[in-house]
Amino acid sequence: MKMLVVFEKKERLRHVGHLDLMRAMQRALRRSGVPIAFSQGFNPHLLVTFAAPLSVGMPGLREVMEVPLSAEISEEEFKEKLRAALPPELPCVAVRAVEDRHPAPMAQLFAAAYRVTVQENAAEILAAIPSLLEKESVMAMKRTKSGDKLTDIRPMIYEMKKVDGQRFDCVLALCEAATCKVELLMDALTAESKLETRPRYLAVRTQLLGKDFTPLELL
Amino acid sequence: MKVFSADRLEKLLDTVLKPSRYTGGEMNAVVKPFDQAEVTFAFCFPDSYEVGMSHLGIKILYDIINRQPWALCERSFMPWPDMADAMRREELPLFSIESRTPLDRFDIVGFTLQYEMSYTNVLEMLDLAGIPLYSRDRQDGPIIMAGGPCAYNPEPLAPFVDVFQIGDGEEMMVEAIACVRKCKKAGLSRLDTLRALAGIEGIYVPAFYQVSYNDDGTLADFYPVDDAAPAIVRKRIVRDLDSAAYPEAFVVPYTEAIHDRIVLEIMRGCTKGCRFCQAGMLYRPVRERSLETLLAQAEKLENATGYEEMSLSSLSSGDYTHLTELVCALTERYADRKISVSLPSMRIDSFVKQSLEEAQKVRKSGLTLAPEAGTQRMRDVINKGVTEEDLIRAVTDAFESGWSTVKLYFMIGLPTETDEDLQGIGNLARDVINAYFTVPRSVRAKGLRVTCSASTFVPKPFTPFQWQGQDELPTIKEKQARLGDILHQVKGVNFNWHEPELSMLEACFARGDRRMADVLYAAWKNGCRMDGWTEFLNYEGWMKAFQDCNVDPAFYANRVRGEKELLPWDFIDAGVTKAFLWREWQKAQRAEVTPDCRKGCQGCGLKRFEGVCVDR
Ligand code: SF4
Repeated sequence: MKMLVVFEKKERLRHVGHLDLMRAMQRALRRSGVPIAFSQGFNPHLLVTFAAPLSVGMPGLREVMEVPLSAEISEEEFKEKLRAALPPELPCVAVRAVEDRHPAPMAQLFAAAYRVTVQENAAEILAAIPSLLEKESVMAMKRTKSGDKLTDIRPMIYEMKKVDGQRFDCVLALCEAATCKVELLMDALTAESKLETRPRYLAVRTQLLGKDFTPLELL
Repeated sequence: MKVFSADRLEKLLDTVLKPSRYTGGEMNAVVKPFDQAEVTFAFCFPDSYEVGMSHLGIKILYDIINRQPWALCERSFMPWPDMADAMRREELPLFSIESRTPLDRFDIVGFTLQYEMSYTNVLEMLDLAGIPLYSRDRQDGPIIMAGGPCAYNPEPLAPFVDVFQIGDGEEMMVEAIACVRKCKKAGLSRLDTLRALAGIEGIYVPAFYQVSYNDDGTLADFYPVDDAAPAIVRKRIVRDLDSAAYPEAFVVPYTEAIHDRIVLEIMRGCTKGCRFCQAGMLYRPVRERSLETLLAQAEKLENATGYEEMSLSSLSSGDYTHLTELVCALTERYADRKISVSLPSMRIDSFVKQSLEEAQKVRKSGLTLAPEAGTQRMRDVINKGVTEEDLIRAVTDAFESGWSTVKLYFMIGLPTETDEDLQGIGNLARDVINAYFTVPRSVRAKGLRVTCSASTFVPKPFTPFQWQGQDELPTIKEKQARLGDILHQVKGVNFNWHEPELSMLEACFARGDRRMADVLYAAWKNGCRMDGWTEFLNYEGWMKAFQDCNVDPAFYANRVRGEKELLPWDFIDAGVTKAFLWREWQKAQRAEVTPDCRKGCQGCGLKRFEGVCVDR
């Protein structure tokens, strides 16, 4: 049996990196007393996998991790135990028990939804949204391991709309084949609005999505 | 006045290294409503978050203060220099991690002094908080406290700190904050609050004492000038360690601390009597925790932290009465939870092969041994009761049990040292390597790694070597080079050494008086901070400070002091008497050993503290 765990990483912890977060979760699982499975081998560790690492600086509202179990446990009991073992800044939102052969969340990941608060020049950035969406292609400089690469990110922007005078929501590709970071989108909006430098912003990942834009944890 | 703003902080956090050092939100951090606490205490560690979070004392006192329903304790650490500069630029005051409250809003700001080279960080943190550095310039605002091993010679910090706590903090801390609470309620002035604090055993309020000097620069007189201040400040001792408060939960950091694990303090104090070792004298007498208490603490801590490692802490774990039982019980209990148990500061004279084997069942770490000196004569001088035979037996045992990484710690510049003693270090290293090859290939682990680490001897107060001078810088450098040559000829040894400049500065502060405070201030003004970090040590800044203050470092570091000289810390009763220390100093010079006092009292002075020192 495996447990899919939906948790929130609050804004205060946004600087906690992926590896540190993994370790924090592993320790939380250890102190929770739920029956967790260890890897074999010389340095045994917990077999926990995250659906998608969060960029440093980004909070997440509904992050997903998969926890293989060594014994049966009810969803309620698991959730209660884990909740008690997590700090207030890292609460467990929901859990779902699935069969061992249930596909890994990471493999089902397709896109992610974000809410972006633009902290400077919000009016200019938000005004650029409609015109950017009208474009057939949006070129942006993507930083990859093998150097910077000019990439068309338009096909990776599935949705984008203004929320209020400071914020907008968007859905961007996030899977092995194609990933568009909020940073790239902000670069494109900056260029579109003719601003010189990218304004400060805070992006929150609000939901991880699978095929047909179904929330990942429900697939 | 600097005003805190969460928004400006968030902005800064996006630009500095490792921002999660400053953001808290850790498991088991205690967050109480700030405005409802009757006494608020900012526990400051004058080094980085990673170093501070590894330290046991802060965990103990954080827990003890927060256990009082009327008190609150939050943490603050020395910001990394990039953050410190950014905060200064943005006029953002230093704040506590938990509630992000600027330090100047606390009733008490307390520093723990673990090593001398963190003193500039104390000044830097006060300044970042917008708190005037000198006590005399503070009419209101927090009371500045300090404790920890370096508080046993508080004088170099005397003008900056209002209240020093000397000795075990568990009981003294509660008395101190209760006293502040009472004074606050009664609406007492700052001066009267300090007077009330000075009445607590173990507390030293430097403003209530006067110092005068002889023409040769040595102390002429040191005396209290306020009725509230005792002439002799006696260190505090927790009589019963087994019932002393110990945290049931540790704050679990996100970013990895240097030591990120459960720590069980199995024992406090040491009876070996190594003559260079300050901790060994300061933490006397030996007090042990019972097996039941430790196992219960381990269980609570494991459930509260989820740590994958446990370590046993004491000055000499091998001497703990129930060591084997404890290690066996812990490894057995936690094997299925994959928790490793490690034994630091293992002393080779009490090496327990069985516990070694138990300890390595789960995970194998390097073996650390501290023979400290290379020849038997030198080890007799420092009273390190270890023979070459002990050492070789210990490493052979370890190699047979599958260890292959050995670290050997030595000191150079010890009193009476000759070239032969340096040669001895090389010989010892060679013998260790030979011991490895005598273990059959089928038994020993592959990949032998032997590291020799040589630190420079620093004479410390309340040790038999407190009268001795440190070698001068050129001599130390010569010896380091010589030892480097010697070890170069031993195949397969890595050689590490410490910055000799740092050891020299450490020596100045370790045995400094109030005049070293001027040097400290000047050095901080010259931009010195984070001196313990090689990349930040600004030696020129320090030398200029000595010059500008007209202070000769040799007066403090290298001068040999006489029997009759009034030492800056003589007003503190640290338990061991000056007469005992002098006796030991004389014996040292004759290379005469003093046996472990578990085998018979050596009359060090602790017997004067009723009911704490029992012969076994
Ligand atoms: S009083 Fe005696 S037994 Fe106690 S610590 Fe001192 S020497 Fe050891």
